[in-house]
Formats: sequence, structure tokens, C-alpha cells
Amino acid sequence: MKLRKCLKHAFEMVLHSKIRSWLTILGIVIGVASVIAIMSISSGMQTVVSNQMGNLGGDILTLSAGASRGGNMFGPGGDRGGSGGASATNKTPELTRTDVQALKSLPDLKLIDTEIRGTVTISYLGKSGKVSLTGVDPAVWSKITTLTIAQGRMLDSADQNVVVIEGGLANNYFGKPVGINQMITISGSAFRVVGIVDDTGNGIYMPINMAYQEITDKTTGVYDSIVIKVKDESQLDATINKTTAKLIAVRHVTAKKPDFSLTSSKQMQATRSAMMSTMNNFLLAIAAVSLIVGAVGVANTMFTSVLEKTKEIGIMKAIGARNKDVLSIFLMNSALIGLVGGIIGIMFGIVLSGLLPVLMGETGMLRGGTLVSLNSVFLAIGVSVVIGILAGAIPAYRASKLKPVDALRYE
Amino acid sequence: MATKKTTAAQAGTVLLRFENVWKIYKMGEVEAPALKNITVKILKGDFVAIIGASGSGKSTMMNLIGCLDTPTKGKIFLKNQDISSLSESDLASLRGRTIGFIFQQYNLIPSITTFDNVLFPLEFLEYDDEEAQKRTRDILLKVGLGDKMYNRPTQLSGGQQQRVSIARSLVTNPEIILADEPTGALDSVTGREVLEMLHKLWKEEGKTIVMVTHDLNLAKYAHTTIELKDGEIQRISTND
Ligand SMILES: Nc1ncnc2c1ncn2[C@@H]1O[C@H](COP(=O)(O)OP(=O)(O)OP(=O)(O)O)[C@@H](O)[C@H]1O
Ligand SMILES: [Mg+2]
Repeated sequence: MKLRKCLKHAFEMVLHSKIRSWLTILGIVIGVASVIAIMSISSGMQTVVSNQMGNLGGDILTLSAGASRGGNMFGPGGDRGGSGGASATNKTPELTRTDVQALKSLPDLKLIDTEIRGTVTISYLGKSGKVSLTGVDPAVWSKITTLTIAQGRMLDSADQNVVVIEGGLANNYFGKPVGINQMITISGSAFRVVGIVDDTGNGIYMPINMAYQEITDKTTGVYDSIVIKVKDESQLDATINKTTAKLIAVRHVTAKKPDFSLTSSKQMQATRSAMMSTMNNFLLAIAAVSLIVGAVGVANTMFTSVLEKTKEIGIMKAIGARNKDVLSIFLMNSALIGLVGGIIGIMFGIVLSGLLPVLMGETGMLRGGTLVSLNSVFLAIGVSVVIGILAGAIPAYRASKLKPVDALRYE
Repeated sequence: MATKKTTAAQAGTVLLRFENVWKIYKMGEVEAPALKNITVKILKGDFVAIIGASGSGKSTMMNLIGCLDTPTKGKIFLKNQDISSLSESDLASLRGRTIGFIFQQYNLIPSITTFDNVLFPLEFLEYDDEEAQKRTRDILLKVGLGDKMYNRPTQLSGGQQQRVSIARSLVTNPEIILADEPTGALDSVTGREVLEMLHKLWKEEGKTIVMVTHDLNLAKYAHTTIELKDGEIQRISTND
């Protein structure tokens, strides 16, 4: 029989299949939909990361105390207001004024911003909550940060009791929006909001000398991190080497056992991509498991379907079907089940990836929305067809090997 | 043995030959022979009725004639070819081209139309579409089902379904038509109609017809009658 004809008969089998087949298809649908959704989220995340990195450029270095811990998810310099800052105790290595002096002596560095981070209680119009606070050098921060101002202004070197807040805090955090020049209370003292940055987070930025008073466990003159802008991005590696050498000298440590880490945004990006791909792989593995479950469902349905169609197989053989005709019809049937499942799954997956950011809220990872790539669509279709064929292979083979007389006798 | 003088021009040519054929069903340790050492010839252009009591081995013999089953011992020759020497796919093609089956329970495929049921064997033989559809239409008109082409088998009466199955058996223009109790599920009037149809195919188109029946009245339509008893040939008679 010509393949075209086999396909026609396989298609008719799917069309006339019972609810059971459609339930089987649902198994594939769920698997494919979750794969598509996960892939779209991860490409969305990748877009966010590369956008951030694009803004940052390669000219930012971040210095923190302690041996290298790799990058942290929330970006260099704590721009995302994460709580990732290490709360240094006396025993652990610290960044101090000495380090800043040493850095300032290096001609290759353009800007140096000292930062501390902590969590503070904030209240506004009778409502309160805990948010992260970053103390920054008000003279430098505005020139080094990747944040852009939405309303008002950035911090200024003369600023005292003022803060810049992130958009999320301004718009959504307290039932009512917080506007420019309004007062918020942080741990009992009043601060005036001078700027709102274009960001959905809940972080607060204030001059570092004020922050020392609000974040109680910090010692004045000790920093959580130092953000550095280099003069010449093309000389980044050389600058990193010089800076490292200088720090090793002033901190009296050896090159083999440094008590600080100096990371560039490029390294950070690499670390972050590595972390993200680990996470993606993990999520994909979960989705793959659901696809496998779907495949088992297809195999099960195919076995039942072969049983159900035993008599028809006998008839087909009596009227001239060769084993390979029967094999092709049943294989194509299961491939079609996979294909239909794949296509419906992709449609659900696209809907799902559109809904996910809404359902899960605009958390950091989904900030960039989701992106369904054509590649993932083709991949999903291919995979589901292959799964259909693999799952149908054994039942189809058994169907093809049935002896005509036995098949005909089957009721 | 059938010695035909008058019927068909091809009389005397052997179409199918059984040589010491045994069919033994094994049920656990017990061996139950359904056919015992059968040697018989079926001539081209003959109309053969196989009769016998229930359990005498009629269907078993029919399945062997139709190459749906293989003998336990002995050899079967179809058009002088030892069928045990053929590959599965050659045998299937030979069956598709040479043999048309009519079953007691019609054995139509319920999910497709009358037309597609009749078209089906041509698809296995890879006929070209136009030719296949023309043949199918012609044959359906011939069996009087021109108005039921696009109905499903379940929408047809028993007699109509049997006519569909006759059309399906004829569409490939086979040399031999096998019918196992073709009237078994039909009332006597419809049954006779079906028999007349087979008789006409034999008389006018020179088809070889082998029919199983236990109705001796219907067996009278045949030219040669093979009577089985307990898996052995009791008697072969011809009416000229
Ligand atoms: N698949 C099988 N397994 C075991 N024994 C079988 C099988 N098919 C047939 N038999 C036995 O072989 C013998 C012949 O059966 P067969 O079906 O050929 O009889 P029949 O002449 O067609 O009978 P009927 O007129 O009832 O259709 C019977 O004893 C039957 O029980
Ligand atoms: Mg029988």
C-alpha cells in the first residue's frame, strides 16, 4: 500500500477513535504544553539577563569581602535590592576605608561606590513592612547605577534625610502610591522621597552615612561591596589584574588565598547563565518526565487499540494487506496521535506561557515576559511525533505479525 | 474428482491443489486433528461446495485454501506455486490479487463507507486512484448498491452488507472466490439472491467459486460437492 493511503487510513483511525484516544492525546498535550511553557520562560529570562548586561556594559567591577562565592542572582552592586549582602562579623574579612584608599590610588579606575545592604522596617500612612535598603555613596551612585529615574531625581552628594525608592514600592506596596517629596518612616526616622526609579522592585536607596544608622548591625567604615567603574573597558583584564594585585598588597593576603572577590559583569553574566541553564535543565527534566508519562499512555492506548482492531487486521490481511502495510498504518496512527497531541500542546503551551507571568506575579525571573520560539515549537512537534512512533512501535509490530486466521477469529 | 466436460473453457486446469494436508490443533498436550491427510484438486472455473456436519473441518479447509492459515503437514499449491515457499508479503499480494473472500459475518470495516470498504483491496494492490475509484463505482453499481456508496456498513441491511462484501471480493477481479457460509446470517430469500449472484459469476464470468455451506439446497447450485466428515473427505460428487 502506498504511504499516502496508509496515512489516510491512520488518520481515519484517529478521527474515529474513542474518548480513550483523546485522553491519551491529553497526556501528550500536557507534556508538550509544559515543555513549551518552560522553554518560553527560560528564553524570557535570558532576554532579561542580556538586557541587564547590555545596560551594565563590561566596565563595572564588583568587589566583595570573602573568597569568591561566584556571582549572585540579583546583579552586581545590589542594584536589584536583593538581600544577598553578607552581614560581616568581626572574624570574617571586611572591606574598609583602607581598601577604598588603595583603589583610589589606581589611575585605571574611574568611579568607586561603597555600598551596604540590609533589611529595614518602613511605614507609610499607617502601613508598614520590611524592605531591603541599600546605602550608597550619593556622589557616585547616580553615575554608576544601571537604574534609570522615572520621577524626581537621583541621590546627590549633599543629600541627608532623603531616599530614592523603586517603582514597585512607590506604586503597589502601600495601598496608595508614594509620590515625590512625600515622607516615609524608616525605623522611626522620617525620610523624604526625592526620586522613584524605573523598576518593579521594592528596594530603597539612601546615602551610606544615613544607612549606617538604619541598618543596626553595620559598622561605620565597613562596606558590603564596592562597585567600581573602570576607565577603559578594552583594558578590563589588565585593570582587574592590577586591582587584584593592589588589594592583595594592602590586605596582606596571598594571591592563592585572597580574602576578597573581584568580579566583572562579564563573569557575573557567565555565572548567571550557568545557573540559569542548570535551572532550565531541571525544569525541562520535570517536563520531560510528564512527556514520558504521556508516551506510556500512548503505548497503552495503542496496545488496546490493536486488540480492539484485531478483527479488522484480519480482514485487511484477508484482502491483501502485507505485514508492512499493517505496520505502517498503526505506526502512522500513533505518530498522528503524537502529532495532534503536540499541536494542541503547543497551543496550550503558548497560552500558558502568556498567562504564567500574570499568574505568578511579576517576579524577577518573569520580568521580561516569556518568549515562545519557533525552534521550541518545531522541537516539540518533532519530539511528540517521535514519542508517538516509539510508543506505538511494539503494538504496531505485534499487530502486523498477527496470523490472518487468528485475527479473523477474534471477537 | 471433478471431471468437467461442458462448463468452462478452462476446464481441466488445476487452480489449487492439496497434497496430504493435515491441520492439527494443539490444545495443551492434546492434539486435535481438524483435517486428516486431505488430497484434493480444485479446477479453474469450477463451482465447489464444501459440505459437512458442524466441526467436520469445513472452515479449516477454507482458511487453508485462502492462504489465511498454514497446514501442519502437507503441501498446498496455488497456481502451481507451493505457498509455503512464498514470503509473507508475496503471499499477501498473491492473496490480494487471486482470491476474494466473502464471510458469513460480512467482515466489513465499520468506520469507513461502503465505497471505501470496496476500494480497500485495490489500495493494497497499489492501483492508481482514478482506476481504483472507477472500478469500485462500477462494481457497486453491479451489485445494486449505487445509492448506498457513502453509507457506513451499520446503516445497511444484512443482505446489503453481504452485497458490499461480494463487491469487495470482486473488485480486484480475482480468479477464485471463497465464501464461508455466505448466507449463514441471511434469511432464505436474501440467501438465495446471494447464491444466484455467485452462480451468475461462475456461469457468466467464469470465476472459480468455493463455498462452504451446510444447507444442502444451496449446495445444489454448485457443480462439484466435497463432503467432509471428521476431517476427512467422505465423498466428491459432480452434477452435470
Ligand atoms: N483455532 C482452533 N483451535 C482449536 N481447535 C479448533 C480451532 N478451529 C477449529 N478447531 C477444531 O477443528 C475442528 C474443525 O473446525 P471447523 O471450524 O473447521 O469446523 P466447521 O466444519 O467449519 O464447523 P461449522 O459448520 O460449525 O462452522 C473442530 O473440532 C474445531 O473444534
Ligand atoms: Mg465453519
